[in-house]
Amino acid sequence: IVGQEDHPIYEVDLTGPKEQQTQYLHQFVLHSSLDAVDEQMWMSKEPHLKVVDRFNGLNVTAFVTAGNTRFLLLHDGRSDESIRSFFTEVYELYLRVLLNPFHAPTTRIMSREFDRKVKLLAKRLLG
Amino acid sequence: MSVLQPSPTPAAGVKKPARRCAEICLELLCVESVRLFHEKQSGPAAAAALEAVGFRVGQQLAERYTRDKTRLGDTLEVIKFVCKEFWQALFKKQVDNLKTNHRGVYVLQDNGFRWLQRLSVPAAGSDPAREEAARQIALSYLHLPCGVVRGALCHLGVSCTVEADPKHLPSCTFTVRILA
Repeated sequence: IVGQEDHPIYEVDLTGPKEQQTQYLHQFVLHSSLDAVDEQMWMSKEPHLKVVDRFNGLNVTAFVTAGNTRFLLLHDGRSDESIRSFFTEVYELYLRVLLNPFHAPTTRIMSREFDRKVKLLAKRLLG
Repeated sequence: MSVLQPSPTPAAGVKKPARRCAEICLELLCVESVRLFHEKQSGPAAAAALEAVGFRVGQQLAERYTRDKTRLGDTLEVIKFVCKEFWQALFKKQVDNLKTNHRGVYVLQDNGFRWLQRLSVPAAGSDPAREEAARQIALSYLHLPCGVVRGALCHLGVSCTVEADPKHLPSCTFTVRILA
């Protein structure tokens, strides 16, 4: 999840432990796809954007909120529908975190509950 | 700061009635917070602090109320959204009048601003000193909603300043100046 000023607010690795190199690579791919997200944003007004960028067989799908917060998911070709529902549910959770008066919109999300719920959702919806 | 009603739970199928809170609680909270800030700090510092509180609240509320909407493109669309849906959710009515000079200044007029309803109004035609005093008091209560509006606009990408002008209580105009 990337905030308004393009800094990461929350990152999670949903597939299981990987070696360091791949982790850096994935993070890099996600951040470089932000430009592609911006391009798509200019073209359409929908919050759900389809696959925004491709790299080596991995796809990046994005979801953009009205407050310019971007949710990015790096995956290898999951079904669009399940990604949509995953994003909607994560958006709900994100809203709840944001309404916390002790949380500023630009700080990282440190809540363990949020982390746990996101992982649960991923297991349930993305398999 | 509390919101007027909590967001409905997204449980599928089971509909729980949304919890409700008496509106008087919000009004008392606003009044008390103004008094508290003015006691702790004097003059412009209190105003700035109240506006900062409103700013945070505005950001969070903006994110929440744009939940299922498509993204708003233009500055004008953002302002229209604030006038209609945001105002409706916060103050139970829409802005009555919106004027612009197309050069970055928008004037939102609300006849019957909800958060000022409880202020006692000096009878029209009474001496101007009393009216002036009432206006000053109203101004101190307007820092908070100004902050809320500014927070919402900034979160949606329109950086601006908001000033309030209580002309004839309880009607009130908000002037939004877009920062280049």
